[in-house]
Amino acid sequence: MITCRSCGAQFDPALVRCPYCGTAYAPAEQGEYMGQLEDIRVDLENYGMEVDIGGRREQVPVNPNPQTMEQFDAAYTDTKRRVIGSALKTGGLAKRAAILMVLIIASVIMSVISSANYADPDPEADIRRDAALHAAEYAAEAEGYLERGEYTEYVSFLYAHELMNFPPSNFDHLKGVTYVASEYYECIRYMEEIVLRSDDPDYFDGLDTDIGIFVRAVDGFYEVYEVWRESEKYADYFACMDEMKAELEAAMRVYFAMDEDELQAFLAASEAQKAVRLEEVLRHE
Amino acid sequence: MNKAKIAKVILNILIVIASLACLAMLFEMLGSFKYANREVEDPVETGMGVFEYDLKHRAYGEIVGSWYVDRMSSMEAPAGLEPTYRVAEYAHTAFMSRVYEETGDESAAASCAERRENLRNSLGDYGYAADEVDEMILNSP
Repeated sequence: MITCRSCGAQFDPALVRCPYCGTAYAPAEQGEYMGQLEDIRVDLENYGMEVDIGGRREQVPVNPNPQTMEQFDAAYTDTKRRVIGSALKTGGLAKRAAILMVLIIASVIMSVISSANYADPDPEADIRRDAALHAAEYAAEAEGYLERGEYTEYVSFLYAHELMNFPPSNFDHLKGVTYVASEYYECIRYMEEIVLRSDDPDYFDGLDTDIGIFVRAVDGFYEVYEVWRESEKYADYFACMDEMKAELEAAMRVYFAMDEDELQAFLAASEAQKAVRLEEVLRHE
Repeated sequence: MNKAKIAKVILNILIVIASLACLAMLFEMLGSFKYANREVEDPVETGMGVFEYDLKHRAYGEIVGSWYVDRMSSMEAPAGLEPTYRVAEYAHTAFMSRVYEETGDESAAASCAERRENLRNSLGDYGYAADEVDEMILNSP
């Protein structure tokens, strides 16, 4: 018999709690817990499978360390049951994943085919590559155009080889003259369009538009000319710039029937006044 | 809901999305085949058609304007469009001849005259265009 440390009553030491006040008796409680653990261990050891042994069904314990064929067979069957059970739980997942993969792969393939069909060749990329490879050669060729005074050809050459917008460093010394030539090119182009316009009344008359563009191009030429003509860095090409200016003024004198004073008055006029003046001359008003 | 069921629902949603994307790509691909097999207009036929029309109306300014644009891509005439380049270049040299005469640049004027003569001889059936251009240049403004 032991004495309860709470109420002082005497009771059997096999009991887990005092029957009078309910106070726990630790040694007995620990013993009971250990007993439960032992029961679990025994249950696990005795947990078995029903297997066919010699034509009769027998419950064979599953041993984590099988020693006999029956134990091996039971362990195998148990493992198989667990694997199939697990597979059944996740049944359809693999199938869905496979469908998803097929759909994604098909989409990617169709996307690649579409891109290939829509892709257009980019000839300008090849031209830029060619210009970068032959920059020195092209710079010499461009200088040849300037030496011969073929300024519109010079600008066309630069455009045709993508050297106007993306000039390599070999063209740095031509920067000033290129800007001036570009404006000269626009002026001459629109003057030619104006002078050689159709006189057929059934043909679209774009004279007003061409005059408007030409007038802006002329103003643009003089602005650019004045800027680059003062830059000593490009002094080697001042003669070219002056020649372009002289040719442009000569063209205006010849084709717009202006003497020197009229030309200077025309150049000093506003865009609108220039356009009106050209309309009068070209329409013989 | 256990994890397997959640995974199934997510996969079902993804399959629906992928199916829609696949359908869209199918239409895109069919469209791309149509685009790849589209009829491309023949640039020579179009270019010469426009050129003939402009010639008919004596619109040499348009011919020269097109030449300036085309030369931004290629200094040489594309195969089949040589007459357009020759007529336009003739018009340009005729225009510049008067400019060089005005500036007194004799060497440029001589070079221009030589070039004009060569171009005139190469015009063939379009020789009349050179005469018309000369007339327009001389009578301008």
